[in-house]
Amino acid sequence: MPERGDRTTPGPTTALPAGSDGGAGRPALSKAAANGDGATRVKPGRHREATLYHALAGAGAGDGRTLAQLREAAREAYAGAELPVWRRSGFWTTSLQGLDLDALEVHPRAGAAGLGQRDGAGAPDELPDVVRRTLPDRARAGRLVQSDGAVVHVELDPQLAGRGVILCSLEDAFREHPDLVAPLYSKRLTIDRHKLEAANAAFWSGGAFLHVPAGVTVAEPFEIVYAIESPGVAQYARTLVHGGQASEFRVHEYDLADDFEGHPSGNRQALHAGAFELYLDDGARCRLAQLQDWGSGEVYDVSTRFVGVGRDAYCHWLPALLGGHLVRQHLELAVSEPGGEMAFRGLFFTEEQEHLDVFAVDLHETGPSSGDVHWRGAATGQSRASFEGLIQIDPGAQQTHTYLQIHSMMLSPKARVDAIPSVLVSADDVSASHGGTVGELDETAIFYMQTRGLDRPAAVRVIVEGFFEPVISELADEPLEQLVRAKVAEKLAAAREDIEAYASSR
Amino acid sequence: MADLEIRDLHVRTEDREILHGVDLDISRGEIHALMGPNGSGKSTLANTLLGHPSYEITEGTITFGGEDITDAEPHERAKAGLFLAFQYPVAIPGVSVANFLRMAINARREQPIGVKEFRSDLQHAIELLDVDRTFTSRHLNDGFSGGEKKRAEILQMAMLAPEVAILDETDSGLDIDALRTVAEGVQRLHDEQGLGALIITHYQRILHYVKPQFVHIMMDGRIVLEGGIELVERLEREGYEEIRREFGATETGAVPAGDSGA
Repeated sequence: MPERGDRTTPGPTTALPAGSDGGAGRPALSKAAANGDGATRVKPGRHREATLYHALAGAGAGDGRTLAQLREAAREAYAGAELPVWRRSGFWTTSLQGLDLDALEVHPRAGAAGLGQRDGAGAPDELPDVVRRTLPDRARAGRLVQSDGAVVHVELDPQLAGRGVILCSLEDAFREHPDLVAPLYSKRLTIDRHKLEAANAAFWSGGAFLHVPAGVTVAEPFEIVYAIESPGVAQYARTLVHGGQASEFRVHEYDLADDFEGHPSGNRQALHAGAFELYLDDGARCRLAQLQDWGSGEVYDVSTRFVGVGRDAYCHWLPALLGGHLVRQHLELAVSEPGGEMAFRGLFFTEEQEHLDVFAVDLHETGPSSGDVHWRGAATGQSRASFEGLIQIDPGAQQTHTYLQIHSMMLSPKARVDAIPSVLVSADDVSASHGGTVGELDETAIFYMQTRGLDRPAAVRVIVEGFFEPVISELADEPLEQLVRAKVAEKLAAAREDIEAYASSR
Repeated sequence: MADLEIRDLHVRTEDREILHGVDLDISRGEIHALMGPNGSGKSTLANTLLGHPSYEITEGTITFGGEDITDAEPHERAKAGLFLAFQYPVAIPGVSVANFLRMAINARREQPIGVKEFRSDLQHAIELLDVDRTFTSRHLNDGFSGGEKKRAEILQMAMLAPEVAILDETDSGLDIDALRTVAEGVQRLHDEQGLGALIITHYQRILHYVKPQFVHIMMDGRIVLEGGIELVERLEREGYEEIRREFGATETGAVPAGDSGA
């Protein structure tokens, strides 16, 4: 295992940066090279340097410690850390300086029912408005809903419960299934890379735990929902999913917030700091989709997600990142055992003043393995979207074959999308490559469709939907596909004037 | 009064005038051929008739069905019953031929077309054009061969049932089988639906399969000669050079059309 945070791995290392601007890519071999000054690279106390754009690629914090010990260690890390800044020199900076963390309440819903747990058997009409409004009405295997700091609703198909499937709050899981939870909790997630990661590990409440036992196949999805209903909340979300040997299942996560319009507090800020881990045992197969739309409030989302794929296991992971005031996502999909396969899809659509920073890692810890990363994103308004995709092949991960592609589309003169694919290879019998495109609206295509009777907004919509379609159709789930398409259409309608102005300015 | 009336049309793009006063009348049920050497302004006329934003009309008018459409948006012209089959059809990735057709049909209707009606219309059009059933589930023009693209144009034309269609060099780049299919498709739409067509071409080939009643020859942004099918035969015998000499037009492309004086 390479030392965490060291991207100047010795040995047969290849780094192939390719800036999306067609040639102004950074030298990616090491940060020293990127700064052109190795000597001043490491400054003591520069915590942000140590957390910047590296794969986790190593053991997590769990390591035999109890939950209480981990919370305590995280609390210390939290107290000693500043809010993080992520910086990719020459491309983007993701700063939390606008976030008033002290003004946010951590456990607003913990009440008589105990910390982070309201009545677990809530009726569906207790669901937060935004959840009822958004989630498709469809067959499902189970559903867990957390609102603000507490789980407000849990349901599970009784037949599945009879076969050993568990879906409950993570707090309950620690009490009722410690043997299942303890070995996996924070197995690959760290707790101290930055202040909000530490805050999550120290203060999380409610949480979700899903366990699908060996050999169990479930056709319908498990839904895990995190909702923020009002501003002034810090939601520390914690999800742990385990797929036993040869299990097969789907997980749909929803991250949603109300729009906070006209809230009496006058505050418009909220924070979601999430930690998500999913482990697949030998031969397990999982399709994981995540739909994130934090609405028009000022929601900050700083989350880390890790998916570990075991021997001959398979994961298809598709985050749809559709909005948030400032979103920073570390998404890491690791093939940890021979024969593992993964497909890492994703889409993002930013608008207005939104800022999105995605770091997606395709990590191969052993071979043979295969990976396939394909993301698509668009930006309107004055939004910024930054995507770094890293293929990392560790020493010994021979016979790994992987490909990364990122396609983006700018729909407004003031929007900006940066996409940096990079490759870090420490094995010599592998293939790893990447590609990408940056597109604008094709006026010829718009005219073509207009001559068929579509008006200009409809033609733009066809182009953008067509652009996203290769990823959306991979959801392979009609209700979710429809929902994502509708969200994309909604955003396009909202940005109509902006897109018009862009067209006439060229 | 003709359905499509073009009067004294002057068109410029960037800083150059391409059309210097074109007059043309086309009605339903009529097949016209517009012929001329490369660069004579044929495609400019086609694009201008549908309102391409790169072409500016500086003088003259276009009326369609009695309405002045000189300044209308392209989609309004389409809804009024004009159609342009592109010389270079554009790929629309992510949208199947069938879905695109449904959108285009619904764009001009109050109520969306019923599933059965759409399916039967589509089946009819597919047979007309001799294309594979799977054709309509492929993404529009995405990865299509030249012949498939042109067939897709005619398929759209058949489904949208325009009053008057402009076919911009639909014959170029087609092998003889594809050419025959496409041409016979146009002829049948004319015979069955009363389609009016302006077939823009640079060669005589396609006119062996679709018989125009009216032939117009364009040079340097003007229609210099008009007649019936006998003009095609004359062109076959003499080529454009003879006509050029007769009308004193300049060498094609040698001088910017706007500077040709005459």
